[in-house]
Amino acid sequence: MDPLLMYDHFIPLDLWVAVQVVVLGVVGGILSGFIGSGGAFFMTPGMMNLGVPGVVAVASNITHKFGKAMVGSRKHNELGNVDKRMGVYLIATSFIGIRIAVWINSMLFEGGGGDGHGAGGSAAADLYISAVFVCILSVVAVSMLRDALRRRDADDEGGPSMRLANALARMHLPPYVTFKVSEVRVSLWVLMLVGLATGYLAGTIGVGGFIGVPCMIYLFGMPTAVAAGTELYLAMFMGGWGALNYAFQGFVDIRLTLLLYLGSLLGIYIGVYGTKVVKEILIRIVTAVVILLCVISRAVAMPAYLRQLGWIDIDPRWDGLCNGASKAMLFAAGLAGCSLILYHVIRSYRQRLKVRHRLAEARAAT
Amino acid sequence: MSQIVCLSRGSLSRGKELAELLARKLDYAVLSREDLIEAAIREGIHVGKLETSMMNPRTFTERLARERDHYLAFSTAYLCDRIREGPLVYHGRTGHLLLRNISHVMRVRVVADDEYRLNATMRNLGIDRESALQYLVAIEEDRKSWVRSMYGVSWEDASQYDVVVNVERMSVENAASALVGMAQLPDFRMTPASLRTMEDLHLAARARVRLARDPRTARTGFTVVAHGGEITVTYLPHDMEVADDIRRVLDGLEAAREIHATMAATTILWVQETFDASSDAFSEVVEIAGKWNAAVELVRFAPAEASGVPEVVGTLTRPSPSTAVAGIEDDLDEEDADDGGLKATLDELARVGKSGGGRWVYGERASLVASCCGMVPHALVVLGTIYSDRDPAARVRLTRELRDSLASRMRVPIVTTDELRTHYFFGRRDLFRLTGYLAVVVIVYLLVLTHQEAVLAFLHGAGSDGSTLARLWVALAVFVFVPIVAFAYGSVARSLMKLIRME
Repeated sequence: MDPLLMYDHFIPLDLWVAVQVVVLGVVGGILSGFIGSGGAFFMTPGMMNLGVPGVVAVASNITHKFGKAMVGSRKHNELGNVDKRMGVYLIATSFIGIRIAVWINSMLFEGGGGDGHGAGGSAAADLYISAVFVCILSVVAVSMLRDALRRRDADDEGGPSMRLANALARMHLPPYVTFKVSEVRVSLWVLMLVGLATGYLAGTIGVGGFIGVPCMIYLFGMPTAVAAGTELYLAMFMGGWGALNYAFQGFVDIRLTLLLYLGSLLGIYIGVYGTKVVKEILIRIVTAVVILLCVISRAVAMPAYLRQLGWIDIDPRWDGLCNGASKAMLFAAGLAGCSLILYHVIRSYRQRLKVRHRLAEARAAT
Repeated sequence: MSQIVCLSRGSLSRGKELAELLARKLDYAVLSREDLIEAAIREGIHVGKLETSMMNPRTFTERLARERDHYLAFSTAYLCDRIREGPLVYHGRTGHLLLRNISHVMRVRVVADDEYRLNATMRNLGIDRESALQYLVAIEEDRKSWVRSMYGVSWEDASQYDVVVNVERMSVENAASALVGMAQLPDFRMTPASLRTMEDLHLAARARVRLARDPRTARTGFTVVAHGGEITVTYLPHDMEVADDIRRVLDGLEAAREIHATMAATTILWVQETFDASSDAFSEVVEIAGKWNAAVELVRFAPAEASGVPEVVGTLTRPSPSTAVAGIEDDLDEEDADDGGLKATLDELARVGKSGGGRWVYGERASLVASCCGMVPHALVVLGTIYSDRDPAARVRLTRELRDSLASRMRVPIVTTDELRTHYFFGRRDLFRLTGYLAVVVIVYLLVLTHQEAVLAFLHGAGSDGSTLARLWVALAVFVFVPIVAFAYGSVARSLMKLIRME
């Protein structure tokens, strides 16, 4: 284990590191509000770039997600956008998925691996988390980018390939469960599979919504608003269960969770506001590019873990370079995306102020 | 405009047979969904692609949304054009949903015995029983998805229809005879009010179709409403470059007296008995509209009991829940009548670029509720002073009941004008809340960050024996602590955003 880590898991937290974690929260929050996901795709690798072991980054992030989803799902529930019955079915298997993920992450972390350079002494767990992250999110980002660019060029509504989804939807897999809120009928087996996959990904990399929401919309045929509300409801339970499991293993760094909140709960408002003033096509392109850059940034960090495990032979000094390049790319991608959103938000905010002034002048005149 | 009977049929439910027989008996023209689709395809709408997309719901793209709007507007305009030519029996899926809130539209649902449909499917497609069953289940699911995605309602909801005919126990001949009798009831006769509602719907649909056809506006999403010849077109903030084109495209549209173009991401519905553009409530609503990039749609609601002309209400031919605008307005000269400040307030809204159109509803609570649940999505409903001639206690009760009725149909926040300030503006209560939660947050953060060693020792279980019980305590502490901090800091963030008017 890295001798710099406290209690084998936790990074020392000075003011500079704390500020960087808050910035991660702000950027993650803005992107989260803008994209409608949890923002973990930015915050988890960001924390790993700061030297936080992958498993602690995931644990702290899933704990952060727990509280945030609890606050957010209340609003969706008030508006009737939560299919609780669907949530219950998905929760059951997602808990198993999370448990599997925690078990694998913990085993890999405790098994150690690495010589304690660069990103801590948890090279095996870090490599595993990074690999899952890169595999899943590269598929998501490439599909989104291709979809957005195709639509812009050809003005075609083709969208991502639905062959697999359509094939699954047409398969006769009894027993079926009927959900009255969403008004859909779904095979129990498909439900269990989706719950398991969502839980596993949430527990492994902290990103479950990227799988859960598309499945609910494309596979189950749920209305988009209900899918988003149900996912947030599900995230609350998955986050709670993940937090319990990781905290039981001693991997939750509550300091990081609190610092993430400091930025994310403010950033999310800006992100949501951004969706109202930015064109849909631009939202899609920005989302896809930022996720893709996050994926590349994580891939850039991976040679260091491979070296620490002794799987490749490179100069140990490259560890710092890999991590530095990865960190620079991640922050540049996040900050560039946020700058674009902020530009539109501020422009719209100024327009609003003009309307207010016009109204005030009109009232003064009468 | 004449009477229309809309038959909603399932697959192989003998709906077509019934519609054609009914049309013959009534001597009405008959129009099928297939004819309508053919016309839509000639219009250039990709109906097949649209159907596939709607039946396999996916994230709704702007292009699909525009295609859907074009299809809905074209279908509505086409049906209205046909009704202008003479009375009509339409058989398809959702004609009644295209012509919502029009009292002289008779809405019929035709269902058939499952066994009959199964046998017919086996016979028509030459497949076995199991395959036929799967086919019917799949096709029903697809159609339900289509109706849900297109209109946001359940196809099977019996309250959408005036009558449901089951041809399992009634012959098609007898069913048609029964419907002939029903169609002649005064409830389904056209009234001046229902005619005007239909004309408004027709005008809005024609305007939307024209915007979809013109290359200058074809790639932009719009919401179009019309009332008495006034058309209000709402477009999104990022499409502001088309603002001038809207008037150019709609210039010369038959029956259009005035055209308003408003930039908005969503719509706020404001319901009140009388409007005053110089009131505080007006400023507050406009302020919220500004924050949300929303247009404000005004509905002047005069409850039937409070309108002071009960004898006129009594002359209504069909006081049904679907009557959006009852007959009173037709007995008034629109230009001369007191419009309760509606026109002046709309003009003021148009001046600040927030007009989402306006209309009035005279009638019962159900009339208002039905008229508010159309295709225009709202982000907020504001209830102003209604039932003003009642004593205060009754006014509060009736307003609460109206609010409950609207809440059960519309999944949006509903507030009264008195609550606007407390809900959406930073006030003294928010200041107390902000101060209190901020103090809690500061204390918690200070405690954690100044006692990092102790906190980490606890989280790691270093101070304990590392037993399962000790680890459970750690897990439980995290589980309880985190949501409390999230709630407290979330409240601080919300109040701060409210303070800078960005929530």
